[in-house]
Amino acid sequence: MYSGNYSFALRIIRRSKWQSFFTMFGIIAGIVSVVTVISLGQGIKQQIVQQVSQLGSDLVTVRPGNVVTRDKNGDIVEVNPNYAYGFGSGSLSEDDVDAIASSDNLADFSAISLLNSGASSGDETYNSGFVLGTDVNFPSIINQEVEFGSYFTTGEQTRSVVVIGKRVAEQLFKENVPIGQSLTIRGQEFIVRGVFEEFASGILGQGIDLNSGIYAPRTQLNSVAPQSTQLVRVLVRPDQPANTDKLVKQIDTKITKLHGGQKDFAVIRQEETIQITGDILNKLTGLIAGIAAISLLVGGIGIMNIMLVSVSERTHEIGIRKAIGATNRQIRNQFMAEATMLGLIGGFWGIVLSYLVNYIIRITTELKPIILLEVIIFASVVAIIEGVIFGTIPAIKAARKNPIDALRNNA
Amino acid sequence: MPIISLKDVSKLYGFGDATTVALDEVNLDIEAGEFVAVMGPSGSGKTTLMNIIGLLDRPTHGQYKLSNRAVEKLRPGQRAKARRDRIGFVFQSFNLLPKLNVLDNVALPLVYRGVRPVKRLKRAADLLERVGLEDRQYFMPNALSGGQIQRAAIARALVNDPQIIIADEPTGNLDSISSLVVMELLSELNKTGNTVLMVTHNPELTRYADRAVYMHDGAIVHDQKTAKGQIPQLAKKTMQLFPRRSEEDDLAGVSAMMELLPQKDGSKAKKTKSKKAKKKSRVKHKVKSTKDKDV
Repeated sequence: MYSGNYSFALRIIRRSKWQSFFTMFGIIAGIVSVVTVISLGQGIKQQIVQQVSQLGSDLVTVRPGNVVTRDKNGDIVEVNPNYAYGFGSGSLSEDDVDAIASSDNLADFSAISLLNSGASSGDETYNSGFVLGTDVNFPSIINQEVEFGSYFTTGEQTRSVVVIGKRVAEQLFKENVPIGQSLTIRGQEFIVRGVFEEFASGILGQGIDLNSGIYAPRTQLNSVAPQSTQLVRVLVRPDQPANTDKLVKQIDTKITKLHGGQKDFAVIRQEETIQITGDILNKLTGLIAGIAAISLLVGGIGIMNIMLVSVSERTHEIGIRKAIGATNRQIRNQFMAEATMLGLIGGFWGIVLSYLVNYIIRITTELKPIILLEVIIFASVVAIIEGVIFGTIPAIKAARKNPIDALRNNA
Repeated sequence: MPIISLKDVSKLYGFGDATTVALDEVNLDIEAGEFVAVMGPSGSGKTTLMNIIGLLDRPTHGQYKLSNRAVEKLRPGQRAKARRDRIGFVFQSFNLLPKLNVLDNVALPLVYRGVRPVKRLKRAADLLERVGLEDRQYFMPNALSGGQIQRAAIARALVNDPQIIIADEPTGNLDSISSLVVMELLSELNKTGNTVLMVTHNPELTRYADRAVYMHDGAIVHDQKTAKGQIPQLAKKTMQLFPRRSEEDDLAGVSAMMELLPQKDGSKAKKTKSKKAKKKSRVKHKVKSTKDKDV
């Protein structure tokens, strides 16, 4: 039977707008942070899935460092975060590249070396990127178009030319198409001959923005900074997708042999890349969401606090209600309704604000957070449950008041 | 068979040397349909008695039977239901909920009974009409005069058709005209079959009762049947006999004394009535004159 508890609760909440707002603030903040963190994680995952379709599912990546621990079947049992994030470095050599090049079932491959260095042009210096040594196969193997100009050709592998990412063009040259201009790496002048199309984020691994990369021929970069460049990736494509497993096994065996039996590298298929980044993301998202959830808890305690105050403020009202025949249960339900309402309204505004934050993130940053329906349902349920849980103690306190004492309390 | 039956009912507060006896082995039987005025000085246990009869409080010792049913055995939920369905309270301080309008206030006991919204508002509106507040339904209590609020409170007390109306100094906060209206209402309820228990300081009001009970120090010292319309002799004297503790009691004593004065000239009841009427006309006159001024 409808008892008007909820409409009465609404009236009470409306009557003390500010008090109610501050009470609900904890819940609102908690929901916004949890929803935003999870949405960001979701958005990044979504981007990774898109990259897979860009890179093709048969692409095999050889990376330095023991990124993953595998079981006997070759399935990943653990991701080692020390190696999984960023480029990693140090354990691949030219011998490994040669070994890969001599594999069977190999259609194409591209080795990439890293020089962790900036560049300068005239008075401008650019220090927020990196230089990658690549070969002519690079754009085709990662399926990336050069938007302006063109990539260097086989004949240019020993010449001082570079193709740059968008961010470099904007930040070092302050223009979109700086073709023909030059930049200096380690005292060597390189001519810009192309600008890449915008890269999707994290193609070579999590935490790498290829848009801020400078792409030079690997042979030329080696001669400019011979001791400083390091092999960070070898991208391999099998002749047929069906041969991917065979190829992976081959490469793995060959390099293990070259490294004296030590697994200080990883051969990773494309779907495993998703697994790895997903794993890192889940850990990260989980951690931050966990921290954000604390504010949800605090929000709930805020509700409890205000309800306790409300109960003692309204002792006389409770007395009147009991005198005219309210049972303990009816009094309890009334205060439960109020707490639930606070949670519900807080949850509603939390969700509204989450969408607003999502929108702001989308228009101000590169990130594309995705608010899943499940998360919204979860947030609403959490908000209501919080109202119920944290409203219980005050409501029981209200219900147990002795009618005559409550009636005498004429505040 | 009495509707209310108290046997050796005591109520103690505190413990050890600080124990106060609010009720001292009270025995009281009230038949259905009676109008009982309970009198006595402050602290004599009148309100405690009302609260125990009204199931708001529990006696420390003794037995209380409501309609021949021992109340001690009731669980809290059953007590609340008995309060809801069988007893209507009218308080000195009205005790309407300030956050609800008059109609919602009157309908509140029906909420706890589980009556559907439309039905309960209809019933509340009927009762407001009965107490003459049909045009004040949507007013908030703080927009009404004391007399109007008390009438609304009476409507609330009646909304569940209770057998017993407990009025604890219903006119204590009202001027004489409003008091009159409220008393007439209670009297009318009594005529239609309700048992009315009323605590009062004002001996004049015992005229509406057909029984007067006098209390002192937690005990019933005198219990007297009276004819309706008569102020029992003792009612007047009681106020002077018992030691007074508060200003309120002094005032009640004074009013009792004033009642005694015209007794020499003849019938007191008529006299007081005419006095009341005079007062009424005086106030009306006042209102009129101020109105004239405004014009």
